[in-house]
Amino acid sequence: MAELSFTQGTLDRARLLRLSQEYGVYAGVVVLLLFNFVFTANFASAENFRTQAVQVAPVLIVALGMALAIGTEGVDLSVGSVMALSTSLLSLYLGYGPWVATLIALVGGALIGVANGALVAFVGVQPIVATLALMVAARGLALVLLPQLKDVRDPGMAALGSGDVLGVPYLVLIAAALALLVAFAVRRTTFGRQLLAIGDSRPAARLAGLPVRRVLVVVYVCSGVLAAVAGVLATARLTASDPTSLGTLMELSAITAVVVGGTPLSGGRVRIGGTVAGAVLIQLLTTTLVKHDLPPSWTQIAQAVVIVGAVYAARERGKR
Amino acid sequence: MKPIAPLRRTRARTLIATGLVTSLALLTACTKSEDSDAGKGGSSARASDPGQVVASPSGGSGPTCTIGAYGGGKLDLKSATVGFSQSEKEANPFRIAETASIKAEAAKRGVKLLTANAQSQFSKQISDVQDLIAKGADLLVVAPLNSDGWEPVLRTAAAKHIPIVTVDRKINATACKDYVSFIGSDFVRQGERAADSMIEATGGKGEIAILLGAAGNNVTTERTKGFEDRIKQKAPGLKVVFRQTGDFAREKGQSVTENLIQSKPGIKGIYAENDEMGLGAVNALKGAGKKPGDVKIVTIDGTRNAVRGIVDGWISGVIESNPRFGPLAFQTLDAFTRGEPVSEDIVIQDSAYTKANAAADVDKAY
Repeated sequence: MAELSFTQGTLDRARLLRLSQEYGVYAGVVVLLLFNFVFTANFASAENFRTQAVQVAPVLIVALGMALAIGTEGVDLSVGSVMALSTSLLSLYLGYGPWVATLIALVGGALIGVANGALVAFVGVQPIVATLALMVAARGLALVLLPQLKDVRDPGMAALGSGDVLGVPYLVLIAAALALLVAFAVRRTTFGRQLLAIGDSRPAARLAGLPVRRVLVVVYVCSGVLAAVAGVLATARLTASDPTSLGTLMELSAITAVVVGGTPLSGGRVRIGGTVAGAVLIQLLTTTLVKHDLPPSWTQIAQAVVIVGAVYAARERGKR
Repeated sequence: MKPIAPLRRTRARTLIATGLVTSLALLTACTKSEDSDAGKGGSSARASDPGQVVASPSGGSGPTCTIGAYGGGKLDLKSATVGFSQSEKEANPFRIAETASIKAEAAKRGVKLLTANAQSQFSKQISDVQDLIAKGADLLVVAPLNSDGWEPVLRTAAAKHIPIVTVDRKINATACKDYVSFIGSDFVRQGERAADSMIEATGGKGEIAILLGAAGNNVTTERTKGFEDRIKQKAPGLKVVFRQTGDFAREKGQSVTENLIQSKPGIKGIYAENDEMGLGAVNALKGAGKKPGDVKIVTIDGTRNAVRGIVDGWISGVIESNPRFGPLAFQTLDAFTRGEPVSEDIVIQDSAYTKANAAADVDKAY
């Protein structure tokens, strides 16, 4: 943000556009925070920030995986259904204890990721079609395994959902750790470099001898596992497995967070910080409208305005 | 994140396919879920209990319908085939209990029953009903997903003089011409009774919130209307300061309530338009460190979990919406096919659960 203070009135249009692309989402978060501090009763309390952070955690985790998929010029529509599958598996295997059940839920997510990745990388199906197929399949599988809502009484799961360390809920800690991990993977590892290169130009990456297929499969596996983690955390918070409604429209929330955060759909670039801010922005927007008791239809319209704004800001980026 | 070695193409495919198949087999092989108490599973056993009671006895006021007026000839229900078209998949307690009740009653009466489930897709329900007719259903029981758009089905049914009884939702058509009768709850009345329960729990003073159902659904509109009108009329001291949708889902009810109790800490009561959202609200209150009874919750439906919530002290009242349509639907069809007049609008009597009867009646809940 330091750049802003050094620029005087001489900004030309291109520069302004670039700044709005880079920092628009952060500015949006700041504006919403300020608005709420002034106009919303009881907003500036630790308890409130805790709630907001807990509510945003599952969306954020899913959005991290989505950012990776979008970075390869793909998309993963199956994330919401993977959450449902993970909650079904968790409930079915909880008799073995929470750790085993969680592990199986994550394996389930990874398998859907393998299927996605295999369709995209080996069979050559378009990501949007491949993951759409798995979106339908995973939701169906989740409902076959667990046809209706089932309560989760395991004390370990309840602790995961509502416990905290020094006032920071586990959910938030896990989300933050995963965000850091993914950011590190994208920026500092060979895998991250390869991912971005593939997103930039798949033929070029192949010609350069990069393991294109392997990276793609790993990306979709990561996305599946992250969605499964989100499913486990959402289940812990709800203390119930609800495969019918858990994760519905989650893919859209995640894509929104990623796009608003400044990651281009054309691939080759992943902004994890922006994705986090994007998820927080959407959460704050919803909260603001709920707290002021505005009609729910307004929330949808407001989200649409934010998405259009973000895409407008990103419009020039496509023309490199 | 296990790295997959650069295998040759075909081998990788085979490996992945084998892996998926093996894991699927594993998935189904050795599940072991938490021990659930009698709650689930026993639904079929419970479905045989008395079922619904009519609020306004048929033959009293209101228009009636006879087979002569409707067209078609008498037949014996025992030798007839009945088709049942369910609207939503049996994933929530209401739909499970509804279908189970129809099936149980058909089995009890020895009637041949054909069933179909539209999985919440209206176009599927239309073709479902047409299929049922084509398969030889003499009588139809339909739980409509929508009120409109039934003309094609009604035309086919009318041509074959097939009597139709709709349950739990109405269709926009003429009773006794397009269909025989409607059996269902009065949602406005449910809202009013929830308001009465809320007034009693809060003492008629303070600020309250409403967790609305899914937008654009007649159940939501009518339960809201009944509640708000009754509050305005009987307890002007109660102010509705918050109306947000929880989409009839527990998770949404929880996250909306979390925001509610932070922005309006003085809230006295929450009216949830179904049990699931009410249970989400309970979760939110627990998370915020509230004690049972700090905020009065009134819900509608009467599922077992909600009734148990009353026993635990978190929920103040549950207005029942009775899903056990079987006995009444078949009774109506039986009377109709024997040539007796049946009421066009059969409103059922819903009971209610309060602190006084929750512990004793928890087994009656579905």
